[in-house]
Amino acid sequence: MAHIPDGVLSAPVLVAGAALSLVGCAYGLQQLAAERIPQVALLSAVLFVAALVHFPVGPSSVHLMLNGLAGVLLGWAAFPAILVALLLQAVLFGFGGLVVLGVNAMNMALPAVLCRALFVALFRSGNRRRTIIAAGLAGGIGVMLTALLVALALALSGQEFVAAAKLIIFTHIPVAVIESIFSAAVIDLLLRVKPEFLNFTGMKEEYP
Amino acid sequence: MSDRLLVPVLLALSLSVVAAPAWSHKLKVFVTAEGTRLVGYAYFIPGGRPRQVAVTVTDADGKVLAATATDDEGHFQIEAKRRIDHHITVGGGDGHVATYTVRAEELPDSLSPSPSISLSQSEGRERLPPSSSAPLLQAGQASGPSPIAAVSPALSASNTDWRVFIDQSIARQIRPLREQINAYQEKIWWHDVLGGIGYILGLGGLAFGLAERRRQRDASPSTVAGRNPS
Repeated sequence: MAHIPDGVLSAPVLVAGAALSLVGCAYGLQQLAAERIPQVALLSAVLFVAALVHFPVGPSSVHLMLNGLAGVLLGWAAFPAILVALLLQAVLFGFGGLVVLGVNAMNMALPAVLCRALFVALFRSGNRRRTIIAAGLAGGIGVMLTALLVALALALSGQEFVAAAKLIIFTHIPVAVIESIFSAAVIDLLLRVKPEFLNFTGMKEEYP
Repeated sequence: MSDRLLVPVLLALSLSVVAAPAWSHKLKVFVTAEGTRLVGYAYFIPGGRPRQVAVTVTDADGKVLAATATDDEGHFQIEAKRRIDHHITVGGGDGHVATYTVRAEELPDSLSPSPSISLSQSEGRERLPPSSSAPLLQAGQASGPSPIAAVSPALSASNTDWRVFIDQSIARQIRPLREQINAYQEKIWWHDVLGGIGYILGLGGLAFGLAERRRQRDASPSTVAGRNPS
């Protein structure tokens, strides 16, 4: 459950989350070239829809996040993409809230940026198997890091949320597995069909 | 450009197809008062029912009046003891929380707003002399678990009984209507999904347009400057 509702978190957590999200968005937008804006918008739409795909796990229901995939494809631009998707989910569906928007965006976007770094570090052009493994790891780790951050935000806000925090980490293991497979498939497909979609320096021209 | 965007467009479309039978995140709860019983159920939008999830009833001050859990179909029942606003909270402990308020007006008049004195008791006092021992006995019975059952035969034809009966039948009649309104709200969900995608693409287009305009403005002085020396 990456959408923490309003009125749960304590003020310091809210302020810290909002500040980090603001900085991340500003940096992401500053880095963003105009040609990549449509890409960011489309991935934002994908994130917006992905979070509506819910399935039951134990007593709760969880949803896809795809923040690992978004991070690999967008890098720092994942921050504005995630913020817009979360804002519309909050306004249209009441998932999460407006006050906690900063915390929720940070919980998803920070792992996204880390996943990008991980993917770039593991990626070797021309090595398809390694690419698939890197993409799978990024997809899975993105989800688990988000679950961890959500749990941390809850636990920092009050002792009564510790049980909920543990439940969140536990219920997101199946999500991580699904997204791991999904991210690997999508990135493998993109690198074969549209390698320029992942314009890391010095990798697109060498990839078969 | 459309070629470059083909993959994400297909991705978004396939995801939205997958989303159709899926569970949603939003937990909702629906409660009606049938006599003194608060009957309700919790559900996810657009489908699914929470199983064995805690249900708590609080008054306006947040004091817990009763606690129970949903059954495997998300249904639950609570007996109202007082004629006050009942705030019913259904929560899974993982952040899914839904609340519904049953107003005091929806509950039968036979319940009293204060915890100790019930209405049938005060009516009994008005009708019979206070020195008589019979009404005191009735009063003792009336404060039992069910005020409807506790009304003595002497008071059975009284207004209280009729009010309870009318309340119950009205609640039964308008229940389908209220369920229909809830179902309608769920239908709007799809419109919101499409609207949200539209918002994002529109925002992206706006950002792209503004970036393009800025680039043109930046480019034009340089071309002028480049032309001047030659």
